[in-house]
Amino acid sequence: MTLNLCVLTPNRIVWDSEVKEIILSTNSGQIGVLPNHAPIATAVDIGILRIRLNDQWLMMALMGGFARIGNNEITVLVNDAEKSSDIDPQEAQQTLEIAEAALRKAEGKRQKIEANLALRRAKTRVEAINGIS
Amino acid sequence: MSQLKLSSWVSSDQPFHNPNHLFIQRHSKLFQSDISHPSKLSNFRTINCSLRDIRQRIASVTNTQKITEAMKLVAAAKVRRAQEAVVNSRPFSESLIDVLYSINQQALLEDVDTPLTNVRPVKKVALVVITGERGLCGGFNKFVLRKAEARIAELKSLGLDYTVISVGKKGNSYFVKRPSVSVDRFIEGEGFPTAKDSQVIADEVFSLFVSEEVDKVELLYTKFVSLIKSNPVIHTLLPLSAKGEIHDENGNSVDASEDEFFRLTSKEGKLAVERDKSVGTSDGFLPNMEFEQDPAQILDALMPLYMNNQILKALQESLASELAARMNAMSNATDNAIDLKKSLSTVYNRERQSKITNDILEIVAGAEALLYS
Repeated sequence: MTLNLCVLTPNRIVWDSEVKEIILSTNSGQIGVLPNHAPIATAVDIGILRIRLNDQWLMMALMGGFARIGNNEITVLVNDAEKSSDIDPQEAQQTLEIAEAALRKAEGKRQKIEANLALRRAKTRVEAINGIS
Repeated sequence: MSQLKLSSWVSSDQPFHNPNHLFIQRHSKLFQSDISHPSKLSNFRTINCSLRDIRQRIASVTNTQKITEAMKLVAAAKVRRAQEAVVNSRPFSESLIDVLYSINQQALLEDVDTPLTNVRPVKKVALVVITGERGLCGGFNKFVLRKAEARIAELKSLGLDYTVISVGKKGNSYFVKRPSVSVDRFIEGEGFPTAKDSQVIADEVFSLFVSEEVDKVELLYTKFVSLIKSNPVIHTLLPLSAKGEIHDENGNSVDASEDEFFRLTSKEGKLAVERDKSVGTSDGFLPNMEFEQDPAQILDALMPLYMNNQILKALQESLASELAARMNAMSNATDNAIDLKKSLSTVYNRERQSKITNDILEIVAGAEALLYS
C-alpha cells in the first residue's frame, strides 16, 4: 500500500510518484502522513516537506500553499517548490543574508510584509540543505 | 568634362525637372566613379544611378531578408514552446479550481473574510502593465501602452488615484520617458515566465493591497486570440471574490471553471489555433474530508496561489501574443524584402544593358567615323 504524492507549482510538476511517508509543515504544526491516512485538507506554510522513500529521507522547500490528502493520494499545490538537491548552498546563504539586511532596512507596513515573506523563504531554503533527516 | 556630357545627354533624352547643376553637386561622388560613361537616369526617381551602388543595395536587402526570415522561424518555434508552457501549468490550475470549488461548496457560502477578499471603497488603483522585452514585434507594445494610457485617463476622470507597476523592458522605457505617470516599480523578466517571476509581481501586489495602499489591482495584458490576432485586456486581480471569480471592468464575471486554453495545431501543414473550454472536473471532495484548519485559514492559503496562477497565466499569454506578433511582422518584412529585391534587380539589369548598348554604340560610331575620315 503506497502513497502517491503529487507536488504541483504554477508552471510545472515538481514531483509525481509514489512515496512511503511524508511530513508536512502546516499552519498548525507538522503532520505526518502514512498510507491510509484519513482524508484532510490543509493549508501548507512556508517550510520543509520531508519525503521518505525506502528508509531514505528527501527534503523539499515549499513556499506556502495547500495540501489535499485523499485515498492514498496526496496533492500539494504550492507557489514554488525546490528539491534540496537543486538548491545551491552558497546562493541560498547569500539570499538569506540579503533578506535579513532588507528586513532591517524595511520601513513602513508594506515593506515589512514583503521583507518578512522573503526572509522566511530564504530561511526555508537554507534549512532544506542543512537539515538532517 | 563629364558635366558637359551629362547636360547634353539629359536635354536630348529625358524631361528632367531638377536643376542639373544641383543634381550633379549632390551626387558628385557617383559621377566620380570609375564608370567612364554616365549612365542613363532611371525612371524610378528614388533609385540612384550607379551600377555598383545598386549591386550593394541588392546585397544588403538580401542580407536583411535572411535575418528577418530567421527571426520569423525562431518566433514560430518559441510560440510552440510557449503553448507547451501553458499546457504544463494546467495540472496546477485544474487542481486549484477543483479545490476552490469544493471548499466553497463545503463551507456553504460562509461569509469568509480574508485580507484578499476585502472589498473596500476604491480610492487608489494599481495597474500592472505587461509589455514585451524586445522590439521588432509590430504594434504589440504600442497597443498595450495605448490601452494603459486610456485606462489611466479614465481613472483620472473618475477622480481616482493610481499607480503603475510596469513589467517588461519596453513598458519600462516608455514610462521612464513620462515622469507625469507615477510608476511604483519596474520589473524585467527574461525568457519564459516562471513561478518565481510571477511571485515577484504577486508579492508586490499583495503587499500593496494588504497594507491598504491601494484598494484595487488590475492586470493589463494581451490575450492571445489567434496567431494573427491578439487583444489587450484588463482583468481585475484584487479584491478576489470568495468563489475565486474575477470580474472584468464591466462587472461581468470571468468564471474560473470555464477557463479557456489555446492550442496550436497544424492543419494541413498550416498553423492553426484551437481553443477549448475546459470544464472543471469536480470529482469533488470525499464526504468525510476534514479541514485541518478553519475554512478562513484555508482560503487564506489558497488565495495567494490563485493570484499567483492568474499572474503567471497573464505573463504566458502576453509572451505568446508577443511571439505571434513578431512572427507576423518578420513575415511581412521578408515579403517586402523579396519585392524590393525584385524591383532593384530589374533596375540593375536595365542599367547594365543600357551601359552595354552605349558601349557598343560608341565603338560602332568610332569605327564608322574612322571609316569615313
